[in-house]
This record gives sequence, C-alpha cells and structure tokens, in this order.
Amino acid sequence: MDGLIRSRTAAAYVCRSCTRRSQRRLQRDYSSAAPRPDTYDVVCVGGGPAGLSLLTALRANPVTSHLRIALVEAQDLSKTKSWKLPPNKFSNRCSSLTPSSALFLDKIGAWHHLERSRVQGYQEMQVWDGVSGARIEFDWAADSSPAAGTTIAYMTENLNLTSGLLKRLAELGQVSVFDNAKVEKISYGEETEALDLSQWPVVHLAGGKQLHARLLVGADGANSPVRSFAGIEAQGWDYGRHGVVATLEMEGEGWGGDQAKIAYQRFLPTGPVAMLPLPGNYSTLVWSTTPENAALLKSLSAKDFLATVNAAFRLSPTDLEFMHTQGSGQTDEYAWRMEHTPVDHQAIPQTAIGVQEGTIASFPLKMRHADTYIGERVALIGDAAHTIHPLAGQGLNQGQGDVQSLSKTIEYAVTHGQDIGVRMSLEPYLSERYAANHLLLGVCDKIHKLYSVGSGPLVPLRSLGLNAVNAMGPLKTFIMNQAAGNGIKVF
Amino acid sequence: MAALGLLRKHTPTLLRDGVRTSRTASAILTAPARWTSSSSSVNADEISHFNALASTWWDAHGSSRILHLMNPLRHDFIRSCRASSPVSSTSETKLRYLDVGCGGGIFAESAARLLDTSTVTAIDPSPMILAVAKRHAQKDPTLMSTQKLTYLNASIETLPIPTSPIEQFDIVSLFEVIEHVDQPAAFLDRCGAFVKPGGWLVMSTIARTWTSWFTTNLVAEDILGVVPKGTHDWRKYINEDELRGHFRGKSEWGAPRVVGVVYVPGLGWKEVSGSEKIGNYFFGVQRIA
Ligand SMILES: Cc1cc2nc3c(=O)[nH]c(=O)nc-3n(C[C@H](O)[C@H](O)[C@H](O)COP(=O)(O)OP(=O)(O)OC[C@H]3O[C@@H](n4cnc5c(N)ncnc54)[C@H](O)[C@@H]3O)c2cc1C
Repeated sequence: MDGLIRSRTAAAYVCRSCTRRSQRRLQRDYSSAAPRPDTYDVVCVGGGPAGLSLLTALRANPVTSHLRIALVEAQDLSKTKSWKLPPNKFSNRCSSLTPSSALFLDKIGAWHHLERSRVQGYQEMQVWDGVSGARIEFDWAADSSPAAGTTIAYMTENLNLTSGLLKRLAELGQVSVFDNAKVEKISYGEETEALDLSQWPVVHLAGGKQLHARLLVGADGANSPVRSFAGIEAQGWDYGRHGVVATLEMEGEGWGGDQAKIAYQRFLPTGPVAMLPLPGNYSTLVWSTTPENAALLKSLSAKDFLATVNAAFRLSPTDLEFMHTQGSGQTDEYAWRMEHTPVDHQAIPQTAIGVQEGTIASFPLKMRHADTYIGERVALIGDAAHTIHPLAGQGLNQGQGDVQSLSKTIEYAVTHGQDIGVRMSLEPYLSERYAANHLLLGVCDKIHKLYSVGSGPLVPLRSLGLNAVNAMGPLKTFIMNQAAGNGIKVF
Repeated sequence: MAALGLLRKHTPTLLRDGVRTSRTASAILTAPARWTSSSSSVNADEISHFNALASTWWDAHGSSRILHLMNPLRHDFIRSCRASSPVSSTSETKLRYLDVGCGGGIFAESAARLLDTSTVTAIDPSPMILAVAKRHAQKDPTLMSTQKLTYLNASIETLPIPTSPIEQFDIVSLFEVIEHVDQPAAFLDRCGAFVKPGGWLVMSTIARTWTSWFTTNLVAEDILGVVPKGTHDWRKYINEDELRGHFRGKSEWGAPRVVGVVYVPGLGWKEVSGSEKIGNYFFGVQRIA
C-alpha cells in the first residue's frame, strides 16, 4: 500500500506521458510474461565455517529441510571440497574446536566427514607469564573435575572442517551453490500489484543473477558486505598486532605422548605466543606480535625462524627483543643464550626442529563487535558479527554457537508458521547470543591489553604475577566449563 | 491499593455486574443481547474501532507487539488439544482451518505457512482490515504461490453452514474475538456448526475479573499503552467457567481444555496454570459427534 501511495504522489510531479509509461510498466510486471523473481528462504553470503555449518544444520533438520536455500561464496568451493594433503603435511590455518562445537557438528552429521586422523584433541593447557613466570594450569587434576581426562579442545585445520561440511552438504543436497561468485551489490526488491518484495534483500551476482532473500545471512567474515548493506555498525579497534602462523615439526609427539597432548601459551610484552598440538610430531604456531616483528619473522631463514620460535618459549623477553633486532644469525644467538638460561623442559613445549615450507604467514588482529546481529530480513553470524583476539582460540567456536542458536530460532519460527525473515522471528537469536559473545570478547580483550603493555603502571603488577592468575581465571573457568559441560568424547 | 479504592468508588455499576454474573455462571451467554446490530454477531462500534487500527496491525514493534508475541502460543495450544485426543477429524495429515475474525491475518498467515495445513479460510467483517491482511500476504511469495490462504469479507452469519464433513473444518479458531461479540452464545453455536466431527473449536479471550480490568483496560491501554485505547470493553469479557457452562451437557462437544497465559514484560507470554481465572486464556473443545 505504501508503494502505491508513493507512486501516486510521485505522479503529481511528472508529465502525463511519463505517468502512462510507468503505468504500462506496472501492468507488464503484473502479467505472467514478467519473469518471476528467484526467491529463496535463506540466502547465505559466505561459505566459511560459519555459513557452511548453518546451511548444513538447516538441511539436516527435517523441520527446516524444505527451505529453499542458496549459498554465495567468492572462492572455488570444489577446490575446498576436494582438499587433500599428505599425512605429514598440515595447513597453517588451524582452530581449536571445543567439545560443544564438535558435538554440534556431530549432531548435524558433519563430524565424521572430517579426516579424523588429522584432528588432534588436547587434554591439558599450560599458560604462563613471560615476565614473571607465574603459571596457570588448565588440567583436570588441578580442577579435580570428575570428568578427568576429558578433551579440552580439538585442533582442526579450517580446511578439514570446511571440506567436511561441504561433503555433508553434498550428501544432503538441494542447496543452490553460487561459488566463484562475488556479490556485486545488495538492494531491495520491487513492489508490484501482485507481490510486495520491497523489504526483501536482493543479492546481485556478477553476470546479472539476482537472488531474493526472505532471510539474508551474513556469514561473510570480518569485512561483511551484508553487515554494511544492513547498515549495522561494528565497534572495536585494531590491536596493532599480527598473528604469525606456521606448521612446525617437533622433536617428539609431546611430553605426555599421544594420549595426553598439551597446548602451551606464553604471554610476552608484545602479545601471546601459542604452540598447539597436531597429530604426531606436529604443532601449529600462533604468535601475536607487532607488525614489524611479524615482518622480520617472515623474512628469516627456516633455521633462524625456528631458533626465534624456540626462544619465544624459553628466553627472557629482553633476550627475545634483542633477537628481533638481528636481520639474521638467530640460530647462533639462541644457542649461546640457552647455555645461560636454565629451563624446566617438561613445563614448555618440545623443541621445534622443522617448519613446513610455505606455512609461515600472518594476519592482522582486531576486535570488532557488530551493534546488533539482526535486522529486518538480515542475520549476521560468525566473524561478520564479531571478531575476537585469537588468544583464547574461541573465534570459530563463537560462530558455531551462533549457528546453533540461529538454526534453533529458525526451527521455532517454521514450526509456528512465522516468516523466518522478520525481525521478530529473529529476536531470540539476538538475545541468546549477544551478551554471551560480548562477555567473551571483553575478557579476551582485557587479557590482551594487560599483557601487551610494555611499560607503565601495569607492568610492576604484572611482574608480581597477580594479573596472570587474576585475568586468566575467568577464561580458564569458561574454557574448562565448555569442555566439562559435555563430558562426552566425540572420538 | 489506593488506586483500586478510587476505582471502586467510581464504578458501582460495574461491580454489581460482576457480582451478578459470577453468581449465575453462564448468565451473560444466555441473556438477551444488550447491544445488537442487525443479524451479525459483530458490534458496529467494534468494527469502526478496528478499522482505525488497521494500519498498525502488522507493526510488530509497536502497538500490536503483544498480539504478535502471543501468536506462537496459539499453535502450541492447538497442538496440545489435538495431541490430547485419540480421535482426529482427519485421517490425512493436512488440516483445514477457518479463522473467524482474522483481523490483519497474524494467525491466518502463520497457519497457512505450516506444512501440515491444507487450507486456511480467514474471515473478517471489516473490509479495511481485510485489505490490510491481503496486502500483507503479498509480502510473502510462498503464501501467494501455495494459494492455501483465502480471505473473505464475511461474518460467520453470512457464511453458509456446511452440509457435509468435507466442507467442515478441522480447526475453527476465534482468537481474541468472543469479547467483541454481542451474542456470544449464538455466535459459538454458529461457529460450532463449521467444526468437523473430531475437529476443534479453539479460542482465546480474557476473563472478566478485577485483575483483567486492571491489567487490560487500565494498565495495558492507559498506563503502558501496549494495547490501543478502546480495544477492550471489559463488560463483554467472558470467564472460562461461563464458556465451560455453555458447552456442558451438549452431547456433540467433549470436555474443554483451558490454559491460562500471562504477559510478562520483557519475557513475553508464559503459560501459568490457574491464571485462566484472572486474565488471558486459551479455550478448546473437540467436536465428538
Ligand atoms: C591467526 C588466527 C588464529 C585463529 N585461531 C583460532 C582458533 O584457534 N580457534 C578458533 O575458534 N578461531 C580461531 N581464529 C578465528 C577463526 O579463524 C574465525 O573466527 C573463523 O574463520 C570465522 O569463520 P566465518 O565463517 O565466520 O568467516 P570466514 O572464515 O572469514 O569466512 C567468510 C567467507 O565469506 C566469503 N566472502 C566474503 N565476502 C564475500 C563476498 N562479497 N561475496 C562472496 N563471498 C564472500 C569469504 O570468501 C569466506 O569464505 C583464528 C583467527 C586468526 C586470524
């Protein structure tokens, strides 16, 4: 009705022949000759972990499996699906999946499509302060938890996950996939005599294809075009840090052997450095550091790179800082300094002895939180809604939490005959997820800030070891609860 | 307390009314109508009031919000009714709905979207509201293409009574309608004729009590403003025991099911057992013959 009124008032300002022409256009729209718009119940932009999990969850649930679904992804998904690496090679983009994420993936039938021999659970975490040495242990004995021996998280290559999700989706079928397809723009639909799509988002692909969305899901990562379309602001800041990643070969399979793998994280004044276990003798490195240090690390020879990485878990921050001033020669410097540095080997990761070619890379780190996750016919999930510091390994898991909540919200709307795109139908998703995500973003942000202050009033406190225990406390509780809350082994 | 005391001083007739009807449970249902307009069940003033509201009907974030929030509970109630009985109106899985007093179509649209619905016939005497309902349905191409939903500008009196079960309905719904009707007893009997044996007559309304006067007329309309002013005429509210009384002893109806619901600001509608005595409630009866 609104549109009719609008076109009538508009007519007052245009000449009569123009009015007649526009009336003729209206009639053409109404006639059966006009192409029916291609409408979908869900159009998901972004085929990363979040988007693929959502579509799999919707297709796997008999209540929502009738929905017409489209996926738009800029990359070539057939390459992702057929992704394969030899057993002794690992991708550098790994994430730790909490048991609750793994259980959800199992529930939607995706978990067994992952290459399980490439997934590594770990049962213990060692976190310490590089300045004071204050240490906090994340293990079940210290927690005297009844679920002793339970896995804290599963290290998984992101590609193993997305490839498994794509295989599961193919098995379920009936998703219109537009990959290698960049979103050109997003607009609103039209209002005709017969149909009013003026509130339906329309995704325009290169080549002219247009997809009308009852619900447009933005799973399109940190720079979400869907979020911009919906006019949703994201608050946050750049940390001025890069995350350096690499796949490393270690001297052994870990101090606890194959059955008791340990994740390590040391807080340095420039940011945390983490060594996370992969199957066998392999580990993945995530080192948050200054962009200058990151650039240096990427420029080093394999030997010097390894020496610096080993130093990061062993030497004092001052020694380490010095090693970053050298353009090369870290190997000798490290060997010499280690002669004068006593270390408790069992408390730190084993020595890294090799780095896989082409796996050293870096990503800028930032913290962002969208002002809301929903709009009329729009929902944001995963990194499109929130980007977190990787220090707690929670980014991808938060996305899985979003997916669980949104798919449940859609299921409720379907069983109650609601239009799944309208804001009121989406409200439960927002109220369930926003506060939970915000809390975790805040905790990780505070921890990062406490530790990345190189000088100033915080440092004496930190060197007393107070902050290590205080700041990590809530995070430890969170991570252990996530794991213990499930108690079930997925393997 | 002070507010209640004040009210009592100024409303002696209302108080008397309340006393009378609670003594003879179904008095209001069987008494001759006090307000009548032609042969229709619907009060002319009521129609013009709802005409005025038409444009805000689908504003789920404004004055119609609590109505929208209640809609999912209607489906839950219908499901609980159907699950409570071993007898069903249909051997097939798809249901035929008749929604009487459909308004802007909040329930009718949602019923038509359900996969186990075969058709929804939705009627309302107000042409303006029906125009809003029809236009709104055009926002959903699936509703338009499945053609399950039919809107008719009619009252139950102007619809011909079905002559065979095929023309009858599995669910006849009267949501927030009975309190706007002049002759509730005749109205219910007429609606009952459209229910297929094994099918259900379901409704929701508000009990006529001090609490409901206080919460719907004073708090909801005047103080909170969550319900448009003039929506409710408290004297027409019907208590659940009066509704029970209407169906009692009629061999074609089974035992009624009643569920009380309470609107909790910030949380939405919640089922609260016993609250049917004081406020909003769902009422369902199965046609057994
Ligand atoms: C160094 C580092 C380490 C991390 N470690 C962990 C960890 O240990 N544990 C953890 O849980 N998380 C970790 N994370 C975070 C995790 O990787 C992300 O949270 C996760 O990948 C987000 O998934 P997503 O599906 O939301 O977004 P993305 O993975 O960013 O996927 C978005 C997709 O959308 C597509 N896209 C974007 N724009 C368009 C467009 N216009 N048209 C079509 N397609 C488009 C992209 O091609 C991409 O495939 C880490 C992150 C970093 C940077």
